[in-house]
Amino acid sequence: MRKYILKRILRSIISVFIVVSIVIAMIFTLIPRTKVLDLDTSYRKMTGDNKTAYRFTTFEKLGYLDFVRISDICAESENPSACSVNKSAEQQAMLEKYENDGYTVEYFRNGTPYAYHDYTVFELALNFWKNLVKFDSVNFVEKTYGVTDLEKKYYIGKDENNFPAIMCSGCEYKYQVYFGHGFPFVHQNMVKLYFGISFPTKSGMHTLDVINEEQGSQKAILQTFPTGVELESPLNQMTAKYKPNVDHLDQTRFTDNYADCKSYYESPSMVETSYIFGIISLVIAYAIGLPAGMGMARNKDGIWDKLGVAIINFLIALPSLALIFFVRQIGSMVFQLPDKFPLLGFGNIKSYIAPILILSLLSLPGLMTWTRRYMIDQSNSDYVKFAKAKGLSQREIFTKHILKNAVIPIVNGIPASIILCISGALITESAFAIPGMGKMLPDAINKMNNNMVITLTFIFAALSIFSVLLGDLLMTLVDPRIQLAEKKRGSE
Amino acid sequence: MEEKNIILSVKNLEVKFKVRDRVLTAIRNVSLDFEEGKVVAIVGESGSGKSVFTKTFTGMLEVNGEVSNGEIWFEGRNLMDIKNDKGWEEIRGKKIATVFQDPMTSLNPVRTIGYQISEVIMKHQGKSKAEAKAEAIELMEKVGIKDAERRYDEYPFMYSGGMRQRIVIAIALACHPKILICDEPTTALDVTIQAQIIHLIKDLAEEYGFTTIYITHDLGVVANVADYVAVMYAGQIIEYGTVEDIFYNSKHPYTWGLLSSLPQLGLKGEELFAIRGTPPSLFEEVKGDAFAPRSNYSLKIDFEKEPPIFKVSDTHWAKTWLLDPRAPKVEPPAVITSLHERMLEMTKKGGVYGER
Repeated sequence: MRKYILKRILRSIISVFIVVSIVIAMIFTLIPRTKVLDLDTSYRKMTGDNKTAYRFTTFEKLGYLDFVRISDICAESENPSACSVNKSAEQQAMLEKYENDGYTVEYFRNGTPYAYHDYTVFELALNFWKNLVKFDSVNFVEKTYGVTDLEKKYYIGKDENNFPAIMCSGCEYKYQVYFGHGFPFVHQNMVKLYFGISFPTKSGMHTLDVINEEQGSQKAILQTFPTGVELESPLNQMTAKYKPNVDHLDQTRFTDNYADCKSYYESPSMVETSYIFGIISLVIAYAIGLPAGMGMARNKDGIWDKLGVAIINFLIALPSLALIFFVRQIGSMVFQLPDKFPLLGFGNIKSYIAPILILSLLSLPGLMTWTRRYMIDQSNSDYVKFAKAKGLSQREIFTKHILKNAVIPIVNGIPASIILCISGALITESAFAIPGMGKMLPDAINKMNNNMVITLTFIFAALSIFSVLLGDLLMTLVDPRIQLAEKKRGSE
Repeated sequence: MEEKNIILSVKNLEVKFKVRDRVLTAIRNVSLDFEEGKVVAIVGESGSGKSVFTKTFTGMLEVNGEVSNGEIWFEGRNLMDIKNDKGWEEIRGKKIATVFQDPMTSLNPVRTIGYQISEVIMKHQGKSKAEAKAEAIELMEKVGIKDAERRYDEYPFMYSGGMRQRIVIAIALACHPKILICDEPTTALDVTIQAQIIHLIKDLAEEYGFTTIYITHDLGVVANVADYVAVMYAGQIIEYGTVEDIFYNSKHPYTWGLLSSLPQLGLKGEELFAIRGTPPSLFEEVKGDAFAPRSNYSLKIDFEKEPPIFKVSDTHWAKTWLLDPRAPKVEPPAVITSLHERMLEMTKKGGVYGER
């Protein structure tokens, strides 16, 4: 069993690797890179050498190429001052050296040379995977900032709320593992995934932070800082990063150089937003759909079954777009619910009712149909006939025999439904202007936010594959016939 | 003659099915008494109504079927007065148990064997879980499951077909039923296992003293285990008698046809007999003798009037005009007359018949 799971995980990782690599290759080779800058207003306003330099620095930032200015070239030279004179012999020699290394040398209008190297597809993919996982280490500060007098150690300390936390001196992050608000309540800073930089939307932010960071305006919380100062501040001390130069303000709050903190914001992140809506509507859909489907199967061809089938057919026949706008309209006209989420925002329960109702209604008919179908399938099987001949009542046959069989395929799908809530609901979220994940992928594609596209591809691919694995594992719990091992079957 | 002890008595039973707005009469006015402790085999071709007939004893007809006429007397009451499933639960499993054809699908695949046996014991005998388990293990040993204690917690997929049929039998016997209906219990099993299962049922019948009703195509099984044989054709029992009556002194042309077409009786070089034609459609009313169009011995009256029951002996009767004193004397086919010799010949090489 363990061996099988390990193998499955390995295969899953390889699949994710292949999918993401293909997407990287497609995005970086098939989309003209000039398009990336089309939507950048500051670029459009620029002219001349500034524009060229901006273009190359942006491409470098996005991972397309390696851009070197003459100052960097000459830094490697034996005689930097001679090298920095345009058209000098030293400069020529250095440029030649770069050209031999596969760089293209071009000149600004003022005659200053620069060199760049376009990455090939393989280099692009390699760079992506190489930079993907970042481990924090005790040597981080020494390596990055050259600070040698900082003690290097891990230790167990207490955070501002007096919860224990694994802390580090010498690492990039002060808090390595800590308890905190928000799911999953235990957080870590030891391993970070890095997918590149978002551009042109949320320019300069890490793509993962874009979807993962809280939104809205900053929220000040009364807290005590290490110096003993107590004040209302939006800083989240748990996210403290090493800062080589602390200013006066920092010194009033922090006793060490770990002063670079993220802030608390009013609203949950995009992921969390989508998740809140997804999970609640999922729970409602299952809570209604499963019993309804079972009840219908039990009284097949009865009045409730017919009514249920009618409802299912109605919901399936109704285009989802029509349903969304219909419910939204009714909600706002009859029940005074907001037709846009930001009107009342996260704090008000009224904001949630209509979208959650819609999302539940959208997944309800499928769930009911399948539950009903599995149950009916099972009730026609021979073991049910035999159970009846054994003298069991309809109720006993249903609860003790049919249910356990019918639930197997349903159980298999549950992890996927839960995990993939993360991808959000595009149309519903757009209709209500909910700041969730649903619009992220189409937006990223429209805006040429290539790194974001890759990030989302990675996340969705990985989650899908692992939710299938989880579904299979869960199924072994309810179905004794399934054994996730390549061992020999039972006796005889 | 001693008084017969009748456990179940069927009187003028008629069963109709509604199939796509048409009415099919599956059982046409059948009466039969089952003697306590005896083994009755019901034979006949597919669609002759064997299964439907026995299903009425436990109220297990499909939803489109209904008993339109007749009575079934069991333990002093007419089972046809039972109107709902609740009432039938007192009979099913508890008094009349059924073993179905396919052991591979008769058990719930996701419940343990033990659960499926003790469930019945707990339900019908009101025993506690521990008592039921003890009894279930005892039953499993009775039906020949070795190491029953360990195998109690195993699932059906861990059992072979033969083992599963043993479990099905154990479940059927869990409540000491008065009657055990075996609906082609060995059809889905291979030949060696068939013999074992047949013997098992036979031994258990002696030990528990229940009445066995076999439904089968297999005349070999019949010869081996049955006390009485009922031959069914087109929804009627056309001949009934002891196994000797049927095998050596059969009177109905259909029984002759059945016996002659036993593949085991075929001799090398001799063409195997087959009954020509197909059974009549039961959607229409059958006129005269249902078998007449296929029979080599049909008389004119066979096409006009349904034959009554002619008594051959105290234990033997048949529904054919050939037994009427006015009918011409006909001899059964040669294969039938030498049946005993042929069967002995055949089973010299091994088989069930000779062991009887």
